Amino acid sequence: MNSIRTTKSRPNMWALLSFLFITIILLPNLVIAVNFFAPANENWQHIKEYLLVDIVTNTGIILVFTAIATTLIGTSLAWIVTVYKFPLRNFFRWGLILPLAVPPFIGAYTYHGIVNYTGVIQSTLRNSFSIQVDQKYFDIMSIQGSIFIFTLFLYPYIYVITKSFFEQQSASIVENARLLGANSFEVFFRVILPIARAAIIGGVTIVMLEVINDYGVVKYYGVQTFITSIFQTWFAMGDIDSAFKIAGTLMVVVIFILILETIVRGRKRYSYSTTKVRPIQSKLLVGTKAWLMFAYCFAIFSLGLLIPLLQLIYWAVMTYDKILTAEFFTLIKNSFTAAATAALLTVAIALVIANYTRISRSIFSKVISKITVLGYSIPGAIIAVGIITIFIALDDILYSFFTSFNSDPIYVLRTSLVMLISAYVIRFLAVGYNSIEAGFEKVGNTFTEASRMLGVSQVKTFFGVDIPLVKGAVISGFILVFVDILKELPLTMLLQPFNFSTLATKAFRYANDEMVSEAASASLLIILISGICIFIFHKVLDKGE
Amino acid sequence: MYVQIKNLHYQYQNSSKPTIKDFSLNIDQGETVTILGESGSGKSTILRIIAGLETPKSGSISIDGKIVVDERHFVTPENRGIGMVFQDYALFPHMTVAKNIIYGLRKMNRKQKADRLDEMLELVNLTDFKYRYPYELSGGQQQRVALARALAPSPSLLVFDEPFSNLDANLQVKIRDDIYTILKKTGVTSIFVTHDQADARVLADRIVFIENGMINRVGPPEEVLGCASLLMWANSN
Ligand SMILES: Nc1ncnc2c1ncn2[C@@H]1O[C@H](COP(=O)(O)OP(=O)(O)OP(=O)(O)O)[C@@H](O)[C@H]1O
Ligand SMILES: [Mg+2]
Repeated sequence: MNSIRTTKSRPNMWALLSFLFITIILLPNLVIAVNFFAPANENWQHIKEYLLVDIVTNTGIILVFTAIATTLIGTSLAWIVTVYKFPLRNFFRWGLILPLAVPPFIGAYTYHGIVNYTGVIQSTLRNSFSIQVDQKYFDIMSIQGSIFIFTLFLYPYIYVITKSFFEQQSASIVENARLLGANSFEVFFRVILPIARAAIIGGVTIVMLEVINDYGVVKYYGVQTFITSIFQTWFAMGDIDSAFKIAGTLMVVVIFILILETIVRGRKRYSYSTTKVRPIQSKLLVGTKAWLMFAYCFAIFSLGLLIPLLQLIYWAVMTYDKILTAEFFTLIKNSFTAAATAALLTVAIALVIANYTRISRSIFSKVISKITVLGYSIPGAIIAVGIITIFIALDDILYSFFTSFNSDPIYVLRTSLVMLISAYVIRFLAVGYNSIEAGFEKVGNTFTEASRMLGVSQVKTFFGVDIPLVKGAVISGFILVFVDILKELPLTMLLQPFNFSTLATKAFRYANDEMVSEAASASLLIILISGICIFIFHKVLDKGE
Repeated sequence: MYVQIKNLHYQYQNSSKPTIKDFSLNIDQGETVTILGESGSGKSTILRIIAGLETPKSGSISIDGKIVVDERHFVTPENRGIGMVFQDYALFPHMTVAKNIIYGLRKMNRKQKADRLDEMLELVNLTDFKYRYPYELSGGQQQRVALARALAPSPSLLVFDEPFSNLDANLQVKIRDDIYTILKKTGVTSIFVTHDQADARVLADRIVFIENGMINRVGPPEEVLGCASLLMWANSN
């Protein structure tokens, strides 16, 4: 047998590919960082003087209050469904995750439709009870309104992560709490919240990043934030330089939040893992207490899903004959092709990177893994600004290339879907990566080693053994990314080619043009698909474990 | 010498102490050597270095006159021609017994593969289980499939890492005897890693006793197993 001799320092294809992908991810961020330090123009001076304070204050207030409210609601719900038995508790366990299926911007315009002067509440009061209410109590288009919306539709991030923490830890927590003999209220604030700190902070960070990333809610409610300012300077004023400055400042805010997270969280990290240590003995509640718990869960479930859903269905029924035309099916086709293509690419790239970071134990691979995960922290609008800049530069090169060959010069890239899809991949790579990495972790390295010991190369092993074994995780990753893209708004608004709309952007356009009922069908479809995925992940898969 | 291992040193990246210190060993063709040692003494690590799954800090290994690793060379695991039977068997769960066994026979045509498969199944006495999936087999049957899979590509060296530790006690003895018979029938050169002295006594032509990553004693079973430190270790176990 003739062994092939290879030198130790053989360049590794996996490392090279991973490096290449990471560079692509970092590129838009670098563009922002570089331009952030470019000399400022007059407009930026103006923005800095008059607008920046408002932007920072608004963002700060919304962030702080949403963080507090989602923590209280998410943690208390998680605690209740873990340690108590009460009517419909098994349904609420996963049902309370469902508000996550409603993109906040859809919730925002739906709630405005419910509470405004012509909405169902005020017209009922007026017509049936002849009560005229002071409009100021119903002013949802405000900072408070935004906090209300974010809280309702983002609390599930904290609920899911703390619930899984409680399910693993609660046996000992309950015992400790009982030993202390404290009442439940005291236990919750003095024992539960501190113990679950790391899990809660993990959830809160996700909530804050989602709030920062949001465009739809604050735009619709007329609250000036970083993202709306980027849109405004870029589109309305055509001032790219100032957009860079705002994006750069926002990046500083994001980095600040991430650093804060590491400091507050300490060394502990919590994943969504659902391995149970000791089964919990949940306490059966009867009488008033049981109904109180039920009422609380039901109230949140109604506000977060039932009420907006009913309103949307009502609107959809009113307008479906006008909406369900060929154009609507084009929207569905657009959304699905863009989301599926991007999700497929994302998962493929995530597979390569995850396979590399799993096999290599070098520091370089750890850095790659960290950067991949951090990618999700960068708001879509920032990625969009970076991507546009890069593609325009590339386009100019191509343009002169075409000209020199005397063919019809065109700007290929900036008018095509390539730009949008690259941006999706960059933004959601972390989602796919996390899922696949967890899959690899579960399977371990032995099968790969066994395959290589049988004389099969790393590449053939990758396709013959590794991928089939993490198939489930790959599919999960694909679905998660697909749904995230379906709901995506800011990136898509900024980067969609002319004459191309998705379900989400069309719904937002309708709502923004005061045609809320026309927005309902597309919104319902988005909610339905996301809801089904959540159901599959948290009900069906949870049972399978 | 068929297998020549010279002055291996190894340290895990996140560990402060060297795991393997100055490990040297020569093995004759057809010989069965057992590496015996306490848990954590570095047995698996040595096996993984030989297999090419870890790269030693220094030292060299050659098999059948060809260098597989030294200061300047590194032959990847898939090109070393070494077969390995894992502690938990590592049978591919998405493939049948037959698919598992022919997995490593990349260079053969279909007919050759089928012949080799039948030969292997007969050798490990599992002819009727060809189309079963690994989870449809008992622990002992899985063990034998793992052995057949490792033997199928005719490796120049076969290594076993604690092959019996996942089996219950009475099955251990039976499988051990079976494997011994199969090995002698095929005449393959092999290395076993175990912490069980009875395994070592039955299987080994020679025992290498290691402590803290260093060779303490090498020799035929009766010699090595008689020594005092081993007795003490055995008593404390
Ligand atoms: N991946 C790793 N990273 C760091 N240290 C490791 C790693 N794997 C093993 N070690 C350490 O190296 C030493 C030798 O481990 P090894 O697995 O070779 O022991 P062993 O003799 O096979 O033990 P056992 O009988 O328990 O399988 C141990 O101290 C172990 O903690
Ligand atoms: Mg071991």
